[in-house]
Amino acid sequence: MDLSGAAIVGIGRTAYRRQSGRTGISLAAEAVRVALDDAGLAPADVDGMTCFSTGDPATPHRVSHAIGLDEIGWTVNTYAGGNQVALVIANAAAAIITGQADVVVVYRVLDAGVRYGKVTDAVEVGGVEQFSAPHGYLVPPQWFAMWARRHQHVYGSTCEDLGAIAINSRAHAVANEHAIARDPIDLDDYLAGRWIVEPFRVYDLAYEVDGAVALVLTSAEQAKDLAHRAVYPIGAAEGTGAGGMPDLWPDQTSMYSRIVAPRLWERTGLSAADIDVACMYDCFTYTVMATFEDFGFCEKGEVGDYFRAGRATYGGDVVVNPHGGLLSEGYLHGLNHHYEAVLQLRGGAGVRQVDDAELALVTAGAGPYGGAIVYGTERPC
Amino acid sequence: MSIDWAKLPPPQPAPDLDSQGFWDSIGHGELRLRRCPSCALWHHPPLEHCRRCATPTEFEPVTSTGTVYTFIVQRQPAVVGYSALVPYTVAIVELDDQPGLRLTGRIVDIDADEVHIGMRVDSRIELLPGGDFHIPVFSPTLPREATP
Ligand SMILES: [Zn+2]
Repeated sequence: MDLSGAAIVGIGRTAYRRQSGRTGISLAAEAVRVALDDAGLAPADVDGMTCFSTGDPATPHRVSHAIGLDEIGWTVNTYAGGNQVALVIANAAAAIITGQADVVVVYRVLDAGVRYGKVTDAVEVGGVEQFSAPHGYLVPPQWFAMWARRHQHVYGSTCEDLGAIAINSRAHAVANEHAIARDPIDLDDYLAGRWIVEPFRVYDLAYEVDGAVALVLTSAEQAKDLAHRAVYPIGAAEGTGAGGMPDLWPDQTSMYSRIVAPRLWERTGLSAADIDVACMYDCFTYTVMATFEDFGFCEKGEVGDYFRAGRATYGGDVVVNPHGGLLSEGYLHGLNHHYEAVLQLRGGAGVRQVDDAELALVTAGAGPYGGAIVYGTERPC
Repeated sequence: MSIDWAKLPPPQPAPDLDSQGFWDSIGHGELRLRRCPSCALWHHPPLEHCRRCATPTEFEPVTSTGTVYTFIVQRQPAVVGYSALVPYTVAIVELDDQPGLRLTGRIVDIDADEVHIGMRVDSRIELLPGGDFHIPVFSPTLPREATP
């Protein structure tokens, strides 16, 4: 498997706001235009567009039209949350490598119509959730608080360990002008945070925002002639278990990453020790805990000590979420992690640049489903 | 304009062709899940055919007892119809009938602080406000029923 016949050549985003007062189409079109401009390309160069969403109106058809295209060739609108970000990008790379498109834009937009933390409408719920929603149990923070509790039971991990992850993210966001939450927090602040759903406090949850992110991919060949140093997807892997039903996953102390990590490391010939920047999907602090262990950065139950010892920040073993992640930069459903990885590998991250960043792991998803990509500054030999 | 969602009913199930028997039987006071008559595998959520041997499944009564696999305590309103119940406890319960056979439901009749993983629970059936559906809730089993 070699995805590095394609490269990321442009990145763009809007501001991230609690309330933008703008539609998803408007936000997406802005981010796409910024990304194309960053690449030194024009809308007319685009012949492929893809996104993932849970049914939002800002489809690739609408967004391509909004940036001025009268027609578009390759489009895929994947029905997914953050679990399939890596897959969407890998598909875009594959479309380029197989000649289905020359320039593909990947985007994700979240506007005020899209919030996952609460369900406030009167609803009839079908599918698997017909068995859980009537119990007042319907939103992702609840699902993954279940998982975090199980990990605490089996491995003795603590709320303080989850706090160490939140504190690390926030410390990184302090230096990131684009981040929505930039006030530093310490353990007292974390523990004083209000309970949302035990064992999650407010600092354990992603910060939901309005905004959009876009990436531009083209062939590695064409990338040589463009504005920025190309960033190559070296390998990708996906995995889904338990039919994608969080409550049915047999062992909630591990996530999809238990399947995906060996698959990814086998495909790339790499391991956790090779990674300079780890953009770990962090819809919740516990997502980082379980996946960080599964990808092999440390043993089960050791994440808290690892973060407290400074091993997950500058000067440590690997810099985890230098942008502040979904917890502090903002919940762009994980596509902002890819933006950050590209920025770091280009050497363009300014005050939060990770020294000599050559390989970045970006994970996507939580619970029973997810994937990951490794990006590099060079194509593998 | 903001709706007062605290006054709205909780989410109602939308039964489908595979699950109708679950809602019908619990409405008549009995917890029944789909089971394979050939290989005896229980299925929840329901499947028309066994996922292991593809035999058509049938609804059968399950024991009402199980063990708390994990649980949460909801401290902030998050789901319509439940804001007045905050804080409330929801658990994933493994039923005694088969390892990995899980039901999700609220834990009642006990302080949230006393709920723990491994706790033995029994289910009973309650009316879901806002309609005619019934749902299972779980309460701690009496000490004499506690398992080693
Ligand atoms: Zn069977």
